[in-house]
Amino acid sequence: MTAIVEGNGTVTLILVSHSSEIASGLAEMAAQIAGPAVRIVAAGGAVDGSLGTDGGRVLEELRAAANGSGAVVLVDLGSSVLSVRAALNELSPDELRHLSVADAPLVEGAIAAAVAASTGCSHAEAARAAEEARSVAKL
Amino acid sequence: MPSSEIRVCLPADVALHARPAGTLVRAASTFAAEVFVSANGRRANAKSILDILSLGAEGGVELVIDASGDDAAAAAEHLALLVPALA
Repeated sequence: MTAIVEGNGTVTLILVSHSSEIASGLAEMAAQIAGPAVRIVAAGGAVDGSLGTDGGRVLEELRAAANGSGAVVLVDLGSSVLSVRAALNELSPDELRHLSVADAPLVEGAIAAAVAASTGCSHAEAARAAEEARSVAKL
Repeated sequence: MPSSEIRVCLPADVALHARPAGTLVRAASTFAAEVFVSANGRRANAKSILDILSLGAEGGVELVIDASGDDAAAAAEHLALLVPALA
């Protein structure tokens, strides 16, 4: 299932999770914190809505964003990572220039990337903001 | 390099949790100056929501906003006006 929060010319945030509820819930949370300017795509769950990832949908969303305003991609783990990797292998070098995959925890990374994206930064800068989640203490 | 420091209190009933932190970070990011917010003995980059959230600032706490760069004064003043209005 893919839910979309429409944005306003900033880089897109693509959330890839095994669970459609995690992806869409996180999209809702990130949109509340980052404001309405960021386009957020929740690509969670398998084709039939069960737990899993939909590689075809992931490829479709990455390609659409790469040919639009660019995107930062956040993943949970396992087949989400594999789906994104497989999708990247299908894209042209020109399309890949418009995408960054953040090596970051999904929730914290998505919030950081969404807030960064809302300020109009590049997909690479949004990915760097997400990756700060690996070193910033929570407590 | 110009620098500016302003102390301001969070509203009594507004902790610096996710949504207000997002508002603060987006405002800070509109300035070229480096901007930091300190509370509870910690200092955080005002352009990083994760850093700001790690302050764990509760409602009513005094924040020290310090900025450095050409638009430091404008940045500090803008945030000092914004903080008391956070909801």
